[in-house]
Amino acid sequence: MLAVGVIGGGLLVVTLRNIIHSAVAMMVCFGSLAGMYALLGAPIVAAAQVLIYLGAISVLILFAIMLTQAGDANLPSPFHRQALVAGPIALVFAGLVGWAAISTDWHVAAVTVAVSVTAIATSLFTDYALPFEILSLLLLVAIIGAIYLARRPEDEELH
Amino acid sequence: MGLQGYLIVSTLLFAIGAFGFLSRRNAILMLICIELMLNGVNLSLVAFNAYLPPASNAGAIFALLVMAVAAAEATVGLALVIAIIRTRQTPEVDEYSDLKE
Amino acid sequence: MQIDSLIPFIPALPLAGFLFAVVAGARLDRIPGHGHDAHASGHADDHGGHSGHGGEKHDSHGEADDSAFRPIPSEEEQRATSPHAGHADDLANSSGADGVIPAESNDGLGQAGHVVEGGPQPIYRSWMVPTALVGVAWVLSMIVFVAVIFGGKPYHVQVYEWIGSGTFHIQIAFLVDALTAMLLLVVSTVGLLVHVYSIGYMHGDRSMWRFFAYLNLFMFSMLLLILGDNFLMLYVGWEAVGLCSYALIGFWYKKPSAAGAAKKAFVVNRVGDFGFGLGIMMIWTSLGTLDFGQVFSRIGTLSPATITVISLLLFAGAVGKSAQFPLHVWLPDAMEGPTPVSALIHAATMVNAGVYLVARANPIFAASPTAMWVVASIGVFTAIFAAAIALTQNDIKKVLAYSTVSQLAYMFFALGIGAWVAAIFHLVSHGFFKGLLFMGSGSVIHGASGEQDMRYLGGLRDRMKWTYRTMVIGSLALAGIPIFAGFFSKDEILGEAFNRGYYLFYAVGVVVAFMTAFYSFRMIYMTFHGRWRGPRDAWRHVHESAPTMVAPLIILAVPTILVGLLLGLPPESGLIHQWLEGVFRGAEEAGILPGSIAAYNSALLIKPYGFSLFSLTGLLLLIGASVGLAGIWMAHRWYVKDPDAPARFVARIPFGLGPGMYAASVNKYYIDDLYGLVWARGGVLVGNVLWWFDAKVIDGAVNGAGWLAQRIGALARRSQTGRVQNYGLGMAAGLVLVIVAYLVIRP
Repeated sequence: MLAVGVIGGGLLVVTLRNIIHSAVAMMVCFGSLAGMYALLGAPIVAAAQVLIYLGAISVLILFAIMLTQAGDANLPSPFHRQALVAGPIALVFAGLVGWAAISTDWHVAAVTVAVSVTAIATSLFTDYALPFEILSLLLLVAIIGAIYLARRPEDEELH
Repeated sequence: MGLQGYLIVSTLLFAIGAFGFLSRRNAILMLICIELMLNGVNLSLVAFNAYLPPASNAGAIFALLVMAVAAAEATVGLALVIAIIRTRQTPEVDEYSDLKE
Repeated sequence: MQIDSLIPFIPALPLAGFLFAVVAGARLDRIPGHGHDAHASGHADDHGGHSGHGGEKHDSHGEADDSAFRPIPSEEEQRATSPHAGHADDLANSSGADGVIPAESNDGLGQAGHVVEGGPQPIYRSWMVPTALVGVAWVLSMIVFVAVIFGGKPYHVQVYEWIGSGTFHIQIAFLVDALTAMLLLVVSTVGLLVHVYSIGYMHGDRSMWRFFAYLNLFMFSMLLLILGDNFLMLYVGWEAVGLCSYALIGFWYKKPSAAGAAKKAFVVNRVGDFGFGLGIMMIWTSLGTLDFGQVFSRIGTLSPATITVISLLLFAGAVGKSAQFPLHVWLPDAMEGPTPVSALIHAATMVNAGVYLVARANPIFAASPTAMWVVASIGVFTAIFAAAIALTQNDIKKVLAYSTVSQLAYMFFALGIGAWVAAIFHLVSHGFFKGLLFMGSGSVIHGASGEQDMRYLGGLRDRMKWTYRTMVIGSLALAGIPIFAGFFSKDEILGEAFNRGYYLFYAVGVVVAFMTAFYSFRMIYMTFHGRWRGPRDAWRHVHESAPTMVAPLIILAVPTILVGLLLGLPPESGLIHQWLEGVFRGAEEAGILPGSIAAYNSALLIKPYGFSLFSLTGLLLLIGASVGLAGIWMAHRWYVKDPDAPARFVARIPFGLGPGMYAASVNKYYIDDLYGLVWARGGVLVGNVLWWFDAKVIDGAVNGAGWLAQRIGALARRSQTGRVQNYGLGMAAGLVLVIVAYLVIRP
């Protein structure tokens, strides 16, 4: 079920004409993904997915669409001409990787292993403390950058 | 569903995202497709974490980190796209061809 | 006093004279109108190419100094005042000054003339050093001549090794045997006399220093040619005389006809020189040496075919240099040069280089009957061909030019039949009397204010006594009248031809002798007898030439009379035969046709000595003499007694061929036109074809490469769209491709 949601959402994102509709489809996709994470025994990741993607990024995108009125554009076709080339390429790629995935013997255990929040928290603050800190720096830089880039020009004349 | 099933889903999601990135004309939609691709990768990470547990849950942690980076990247990317759309008054990617020879 | 040490000075002195004249000559002449003498390099003015002296800005003395030199009149003025005014259609046959260029001459433009009275007279000093050096060289030559001839053994002087690379060694060395000595006699004597003659003839010419410089360079080259002891030195001298000939023929370089004639001479010479060069190379590759002695001793080791080819190639050079058919075309045009040049180069020295070459290389030629035959045939043919043209020429110098070609042909004829000594004898006597005739004609031209066309001369006998007398002496020698030089040498050639079995050639030779006598006295009668046919006011100026011009004439008349008697008596066993015997030993048998008298004699080892008027030899001499006298008588009848006779004769020729034959002869049998068509036009055509090829094909390829690069670039540029998605697609496609390739190749 969730797989349908994911794949279907993805397809809708890519094929819908209206951007806002695409954005909504994206949210559906993210939601299904969150469910999948939960099924895979990583509730913390599922929670993070909902928080970040559904809660922040999707909103962000919707705001961006709204700010720029990008969705109003009426185009004869939303697709490039090179879609004809891109499609087959993507298919071939998917096929290759999929075939690789299927034909490999992964030596998996039959049952999934659930991850506890404590374990993740411990790892995050001990083994992966450095990436964690750097990540915070990255987020800071991103914020500053985004603010700078997106501000309106201070003088009234546009160049 | 089994590891391979998850992997297939992940692959498909990535491929769909790639296709969309390469073939849609709206700038914002390209960013959305980027997010899709990142999510596909995340799914495969978490799937591996579940079926082939790595030491200290590296897979899940990696997925979290990817998410954070994706968030940052989406932020900056959207800021850029907004700035560009404001200057050129159009979200048409075809028009962004100043580097053309 | 060592004779050996004197020999290198003989060519060195004129070389020094040349260098001196080039460096300092121009400064020695003071010619008014240039401004003042303080000009650092006076010769810069000479080259300045002034078209008139009227408006020289640097002339600080004002216009007055120009009075000695009037500016050259324009073409119209020249044509209006020329004696040819009204006879424009007759000009096809005459060359020399088109129109008369009055008194002064400008550098590179006019004839020599006098300076106008009343102005400041120019001072010429540039002739002094070169003439003096040539004089000293003459003294040395005479000393060496006497030493070689009467000492009996040749001199061989090594100076130093010029080229020494691997197996190729060439010495600068001089060989003086009897042959070289004879040529030394002619070259240095006539050379010195021409230098003296030029002092008077070139008076008034602004570039006198240049003339003497070239004359000295020529003497150096010619002496190098005859003194060298190997083929390479000969070739160097050979080429150098060609260069000097170019410089001297085109001395008045601003005259287009002169410049063209100089080019023609050089180019035609070059054709022959090419063959000569190939011949030398062949000698080198087959024998490994260029030294005369070694080559001649080893020549027998080569196959007959090789020897024939070598000799024919060497002969090709002689054909070019000595103006034989078909390379004769340059000699008549070379009359554009000043008359002293014609006398020196084209009568007495340079054209003899070809004869010298064949004579020197007699062992090679003697070993190849085919080559000998070719030499003789071309000689005979050229002789009658040139004589037939000389019959109708109206320019006095052209008559002498064709006469030179014809007499040289006689010499080659003699060489080809094996009468080596006769050829050299004729060379010596011809050098003297032809030099005399040319200088005499120069005196005539000078005295008649530049007129060269004999139709407008006449009656000069009383006004130009010494010129007349010496010219008559020269013409008698040319016609082969007994006592004079030409008789003995020419009749010896004819006698040898008969003796050796060449009966047809002998007959042609007799006919040519008749023609020679006829045209030479035609020249005398038209020029000196009768009445003056030129413009009336020119008659007032007709005068005998200056002593510096007449003296060489008188001096040359002496050997013209005596050389035959001194050297050639008794016939075929005179002094010259004894002197040259050593040079031609071994080649005397060559060229004798089987069944001839000479073959009979040599089989019985009879060498004809003693002389009797009632022998076969006497009979042949009588035929020769009478033919000459008949020619003179004929000329007298047609040009003195009965001037209409030629026209009547032409009209009486059957089938109406008369006028056509005359036209053909006057137009030199159209050889020049033929060459112009084939070589000149043909050359232009070939040039155009090649130009087309170069412009269209080669340039097309080069330009095409550029065009191609541009098109490829334009094509490739289309991938630079500036759009991220296109680049992304490229990346994705590449990634997929790499994966597929990996999967295909690896497993």
